[in-house]
Amino acid sequence: MSQITLPTGAVLRARIKKANSAEKRADIGWLGWTIIALGAAAALFFILGPLIMLLTTAFRGPQDLLPFEDGAQWTLSNLATVYLDKALYTSVLPNTLIFTAGSVTVTFIVAFILAWLVERTDLPMRNGIYTIILFPLLVPGIVLSITWIFLLAPKTGWINVIIRSLFGLGDSGPLNIFSMGGMILAQGIGLVPFVFLLLSAALRSMNPALEEASNTAGASPFTTIRKVTLPVLLPGLLAPLILATLITLEQFETPLVIGFPARINVFSTRIFFELNPDTDLPAYGRAAAVALPFLICGILLLLIYNHLIRRAESFVTVTGKGFRPMRFPLGRWRIPAIAFVAVYALFGAILPGFVLVWASLFGYALPTFDTLSTISFDGYVDLFNNPKFWLAARNTFIVAGASAVIVTSIGVILAWTILRTQLAMRWVLDFISFLSLGIPAVIAGLASMLLYLSLPIGVYGTVLALVLAYSYRMAVSTRLTRAALMQIHAELEEASSASGAQWFTTIRRVVLPLLTPSLVASFTLLFIIGFREFTIPTILQSPDNSVLSVMMWQAFQAGKTTQAAAVGTMIVLFVIPIIFGLRRLVLARDGRD
Amino acid sequence: MIAHRNAAALALAAVIGLTAGKAAAQTSWYDLPAVKALYEKAKEEKEVVFWAPVQNEVDWIQSPFSKRFPGITVKGTGDLQAATKLIAEARANRHSVDVWQNSLGGMIEVQKRGLFDKVDWQPYGVTPGNVLFDGEGIAVHNFVYSTLYAKDFVKDADLPKSWDDLLDPKWRGKMVAQDFLFPRLMGFLAVKWGAERTEKWGRALINDQKLLITNAPRESFLKTGERILSIGDSISQSYQYTENGVPTGYTIFEIVPAVQFMISPMKNAPHPNAGRLLAVWLASDEGMEAREKNTYGFSIRPGSKSHVAAEIEKAKATVVLEDVASMAQRADFYKKFSGIVRGQ
Repeated sequence: MSQITLPTGAVLRARIKKANSAEKRADIGWLGWTIIALGAAAALFFILGPLIMLLTTAFRGPQDLLPFEDGAQWTLSNLATVYLDKALYTSVLPNTLIFTAGSVTVTFIVAFILAWLVERTDLPMRNGIYTIILFPLLVPGIVLSITWIFLLAPKTGWINVIIRSLFGLGDSGPLNIFSMGGMILAQGIGLVPFVFLLLSAALRSMNPALEEASNTAGASPFTTIRKVTLPVLLPGLLAPLILATLITLEQFETPLVIGFPARINVFSTRIFFELNPDTDLPAYGRAAAVALPFLICGILLLLIYNHLIRRAESFVTVTGKGFRPMRFPLGRWRIPAIAFVAVYALFGAILPGFVLVWASLFGYALPTFDTLSTISFDGYVDLFNNPKFWLAARNTFIVAGASAVIVTSIGVILAWTILRTQLAMRWVLDFISFLSLGIPAVIAGLASMLLYLSLPIGVYGTVLALVLAYSYRMAVSTRLTRAALMQIHAELEEASSASGAQWFTTIRRVVLPLLTPSLVASFTLLFIIGFREFTIPTILQSPDNSVLSVMMWQAFQAGKTTQAAAVGTMIVLFVIPIIFGLRRLVLARDGRD
Repeated sequence: MIAHRNAAALALAAVIGLTAGKAAAQTSWYDLPAVKALYEKAKEEKEVVFWAPVQNEVDWIQSPFSKRFPGITVKGTGDLQAATKLIAEARANRHSVDVWQNSLGGMIEVQKRGLFDKVDWQPYGVTPGNVLFDGEGIAVHNFVYSTLYAKDFVKDADLPKSWDDLLDPKWRGKMVAQDFLFPRLMGFLAVKWGAERTEKWGRALINDQKLLITNAPRESFLKTGERILSIGDSISQSYQYTENGVPTGYTIFEIVPAVQFMISPMKNAPHPNAGRLLAVWLASDEGMEAREKNTYGFSIRPGSKSHVAAEIEKAKATVVLEDVASMAQRADFYKKFSGIVRGQ
């Protein structure tokens, strides 16, 4: 079999670039340095507050005082309470490791296959499939979990009922969602769209010439994936892998709804319980202490990431040579591929979507023909007649859109600074931006509340406070853009510069267009996360800055199921056209389908 | 007769209440001079900012309140973690809230920090027995713990009659409870039963009866029949579940634990008169009736006119009402029982 090697010319050019780094800094000009300085300052402003809050809160006590109150003192008691607890080592830690490893594995396998099928093959209806794959991101986590309970509850789960009737089994099982396996399945499938979005952006930015060379040399598609696609995509694979790991560690909806009934405690449920204590105030100190391993985990993963991609030039696939994308013909794998997508779509999108819409029209009534006559649009009528809904919808678009633009813009600046300059502090920016993912939303919300309460600028209680508070999540944008930027050779920028273009012109005319898939992916992801976020707006809420996610959560808490589901459905309807539109934008820019 | 824990104190309060009630009976509470004067001042403030644990507790108020007191806009927010915000706002000398409603236990940390305004409620016709925290708050409704049942799957004749009946093997694998509420229910029961018996009862439910402890909505389990009894849900939730298309009934056992919800005006409130007026209205019979109609929030305090209070009295059940005196004891119970419930 032919051995596939990466182009050595790219390596040479990258070395020349390093040697000329001093010259390049001069090319940046005052405008460039100003933009970099502003981007760095904004990143530090958005991230350092929550980060400092997390680090200090973990060491402030006692529990009956809030960490910022008079009388609160420096203490190790939070750490002692959390880390001297035997249960942490006998159950919480092992459970967390199994859950995280299992979920991320499921997520990655499914997401990679889907991304490869959509971006690299002649799978039919790819645009529609792209939108369907992202659907679970739009559905509130609690709805996804409830859908799994409907499907796999031991007694009444639809799948169990079908299996029992087919095989004449007893009145319970054989499958049980309330188990470690159930948790892994639900979380793994729920996170697929997140990883899919990141992987598809990497696959889209990748020059398929190497794959074509592999094919020409007689390698099978699977060999090509294993020996060419995966190694070249290493940064694009590692980034979502790390992000998915940290997100799985932090998310508590699935462990709480599905794992808790089976008494499976993980780190995130421990944080939830510390923030919802049996008595007194939320135990922010202990919650922060529980969250510290997320930071440590983040640091370790970042070190591993940087070690594995230390030869950045190896990943350059977009050079001065133009490339035409190639799609693998699926051939006899076409039907299995469609079946794979269909099964994912059924469990990941169609059934949760059905449950959401059904609940908005029928509440908890079971889907039967008799039930159809009880259809009620009251949930929607109440919603549309409620001025708060329209205010919340407007606020949500502003907050999700503005924060996604801010974070994506800063992400580009940081990624470019980290990769293309020799600034001494670039690794600090890399480090800080990455750690933002290890900060629980509740800590970020708390930090923002204290900050904007103390600043005499009238931001507290406004929509702007939410925009600023949401903007701490730099990790996704920076990592995504950095991975894409690593695939673009610096020779393109050098050519632009040699042709007389100023730095800003080069960025605007060369770099940003090549980064478009990643920028759109970053914006889309952050926009959706912004639409779903409810922890931060709950902490910062006022009558004037209500958003849809909080409205839905509040209706849900109050037992107003149809109204909550109606808000959830409207969120989906608001966001789907935007995802579809952004996808069309990328495709139109690429001039391909 | 209802056997209350703090019967003596409440009886005294009831006597005082009757005396005040006589005066109020001569003229409607809203015609009292103090209320009229308060309304005039409140109108000038034009709005009132009201916080409660959930939005549902806020949204219903504007319409009935405006009928009685036109010209005042109620701006409400539901927030379970409001205590943190109230403390943080006070520290920053930024005051956005006029009145706050929460459970008595949930208000203690804010009350300890002296953030509530002390008011003499008697001129406004508030029953003295309903005045809490020495004038810093007024009792409104109760969260009445019960065992709810799915009417589609359980016949009335088969219903359990006591908390111990839940240990009958026929309910094995058929019960659900919420992780937050169940330890609290146990805490209230422990006040009557003692910790040892309650712990044994709770462990038997979890381990032997396979009680499903969940954070998901219990009505989804009751609807499908995955579980048919919901332990430690409130009576008001049975109405909410029914409204959501899940026919649900409630039981009244020998002990009726009840969380006390109350309302307090904040110090340095931006609209102090409007806040006080809203609190007075919410604590009035008119306000209570409107609440019951809109959110199924019942009061079972002595003197309450709610049908739930009457049913409890008829059942000769013992009410264990949340109060300050037993707060520390119940807090210890919660912490202990939470560990059992969470499997920690």
